[in-house]
Amino acid sequence: MDARPSTCGGTYMRDPVTVMAPERLGAMHQNRISFVRSLIRKMAQQKWQVTKHDWQLSAEGFGHVIYKLTTLNHIYHLVIFCDEIADEDRNDRVIAEKWDVTFALVYGDVDVDLLSRLRTNVPLQEAGRNPNKVLVLARANKSVRVFEHLVSHLAKGQQPNAKELAEVGYILRTTAVYGNGKFGIADFGWLETTEDFNQSFSAQMCAVYILREFSLDWVHYLARQQGGDKAASLDLGLQRYLGIGNATGLGMAPYLINHPCVVDKWLSSRESALTAVLNAVVEVHKLAPLQHLLQKGLCHLEQIITINENQDDLNNTAITELHDLLTKLETLLIQSQTWSELVEYTSRYSLETQEIILSCLMEIYPALVDNYETKMNCDESLNLPSGKRIEDLLAVLESSYRWAIETDFKQPENNYWFWYRSQDKEEPRLGVRGEEPGEDRELPLDIGRQANRLYHALLICKPNMQLAEFLVLQPQYRAISRRVWTLGNKQMGEIQMNVLHKKSLPMHLLRCKLAVLGATKFDPRSERWVRVTFFQGAPLLNELHDGEWLFPLLPSNTLNQAVVEGEVS
Amino acid sequence: MIVSHNELVSVVNKAFLGMRRSCGEADVIANMVAGLQIVGLNGIGHFNNAAQFLTAEKDSPVDIFITNEGGLVVDLHGCSLACHLPVVIDYALEKMVGKKHLTIELKNCHNRWLAYNELVKLAAKGLACKAQWNNGSSPQNTLYILNQGCVSPELFLSDHLDLAGRTLHDMTIQLSVKNFDIAGYSAGYTKHIKSSSLNNAQRDTWYEGISVDEDEWEVLKRTATALLVENSEQSVKGAGELV
Repeated sequence: MDARPSTCGGTYMRDPVTVMAPERLGAMHQNRISFVRSLIRKMAQQKWQVTKHDWQLSAEGFGHVIYKLTTLNHIYHLVIFCDEIADEDRNDRVIAEKWDVTFALVYGDVDVDLLSRLRTNVPLQEAGRNPNKVLVLARANKSVRVFEHLVSHLAKGQQPNAKELAEVGYILRTTAVYGNGKFGIADFGWLETTEDFNQSFSAQMCAVYILREFSLDWVHYLARQQGGDKAASLDLGLQRYLGIGNATGLGMAPYLINHPCVVDKWLSSRESALTAVLNAVVEVHKLAPLQHLLQKGLCHLEQIITINENQDDLNNTAITELHDLLTKLETLLIQSQTWSELVEYTSRYSLETQEIILSCLMEIYPALVDNYETKMNCDESLNLPSGKRIEDLLAVLESSYRWAIETDFKQPENNYWFWYRSQDKEEPRLGVRGEEPGEDRELPLDIGRQANRLYHALLICKPNMQLAEFLVLQPQYRAISRRVWTLGNKQMGEIQMNVLHKKSLPMHLLRCKLAVLGATKFDPRSERWVRVTFFQGAPLLNELHDGEWLFPLLPSNTLNQAVVEGEVS
Repeated sequence: MIVSHNELVSVVNKAFLGMRRSCGEADVIANMVAGLQIVGLNGIGHFNNAAQFLTAEKDSPVDIFITNEGGLVVDLHGCSLACHLPVVIDYALEKMVGKKHLTIELKNCHNRWLAYNELVKLAAKGLACKAQWNNGSSPQNTLYILNQGCVSPELFLSDHLDLAGRTLHDMTIQLSVKNFDIAGYSAGYTKHIKSSSLNNAQRDTWYEGISVDEDEWEVLKRTATALLVENSEQSVKGAGELV
């Protein structure tokens, strides 16, 4: 394990070169301070109440439903519209214009006028205009296969086939969950001053969590409509096993590049929490919970069904390695003074395995980790302080941007892609430089190349020249100078990735953000699209608890049935 | 109509990026516009005015001269102040080290209202600031005073002042470690926009959203589309094909 002295407490923290490497970020898993976990803990600890407030669905399941959320401080409503759409209109991309379900989380009451306005605008999503009482605007499509399978079985009083559920893991799949002022809704700047949703993405995650409850209520409602008294309720274990799916594409990648302070804060807080664990003395009584979680992680990987061969290989490798680790774990614990020594040993394993181990270690130390859940917000401003000279900025570049300044951007493979926004709903896309139109409107996401150019421009100046003077002469470098100075002086800094490189994988960026949010079951559908689940394995609304729910598993009764039938490998 | 802060910043950012300028920073300019709009001073309108000329303007650094008294004279070559003010302020702050006062004469520049937000930042650095400019249309005379520790400036407007050496494309900014005499400097101005009303307007936008002129908003959104690339069969695949 790479390590360098941390600036606080005389402990040791992993180097940003290790932590911010794209391949490692692209192997991250949910952990205790992922946003879904923090939210559920808060909901449980503060005893938030969610009730079915209004249920106006036709026998076919179309219409609207409102859930009421009561917190210690306020009330909110999740307003959900269910519309009938043609199968050919069901598209996960941002360019879609119709969805099975559209919904909005609203601050305060929803009167007739507001409901009417929402009815007109929420189903239009980006094309609509909503009041700033709306905190979250989102949409979802059915997994038609799971939806129909569940309704038809439950209507007949039967439980569904576990295999059908295991392959998908959700009933509804969100394709965009907008917050922070998008399309006129409330800014996070305001939410941040409130008690309930002052943490990044907490309002969005809450809306998705209530949607998960709706997805279960919806199939039960339709099963009763079809089966009457014969209809059964879904096995509670299977209800917990079903989360909300999410399809994420390239559009998420620019977020991580355009919000570098946010990314630094997320990864720095996670790393600080992890460092607290790794520096703790190994305690024998932690062996059993750690074994349990590693075993759970292993089973979770075994149950994941993905069509992506690379991810499948990674999962299989991790399964083998976790088996290996479990056979040695007790001996390794006896031989280790601190958890960092155990982690040092596991550096021989794949990144996927290493990241599972780190999530498990964080899980068994809530007292060391949970404090960091409130340290995920940050000031995003990029500033250059007064009094700095060329040599000062060069020093930052040479210490924190080696990944950029050592790249030869004259080589075509280092400049292969360009990023742009399409006229088609402003969808971010990648084009091949020199081959595809749009290069003249390239997005400035080329941070590595910009840092490299800045470095070479600085090198030809006198080292003691004032930076302010340099920027008067070459103002085109002010933006990247502000960024380099700010990020270069942060704990983790930039994601160390040249996104123009021919072999760069935006998937790593997507996975990093999704893991911070708390996604599970990573199922890449291409190099630029991934399906995941949220709240899979989470407690249901009527049993909220702040305990562990890492790595969703099929409930053991249905698992046994599936194994007997040869349905789960 | 009402827009959000993030929405406004995002659209201005895209609009400026679409102009493909070397000088000027999209995020800074977006905050200049938003900073002005949230206090009700028509940031979008000022940006839309600027946008009409930005793509045709000279895209090169300013020239800075130091006067015998140690002040700065900055020639912006007829360009928008939005693209150059941050660099000039950085430079001025360096030159102010060890001094109690510094005068910056900005020559041949446009869109001076967009300086509002950059000058507000100076208060956080412990400096007081006074800015003055004249215009060919109403309001013809503007005075901006932001004393130390204040969140918003006192603004004074007039159409009737006969100022000596009146020029229509310049701006004078004075920085000082001492507060300016607001009453003394504002004598003769006919309209006063109090800092308290600017503070209130800013506070209200957090709850109510930012009020914008619908036509101005549409113009801004149209400008922001210059960055977008035409759709094509090839480009549709550029988002990654679903399997």
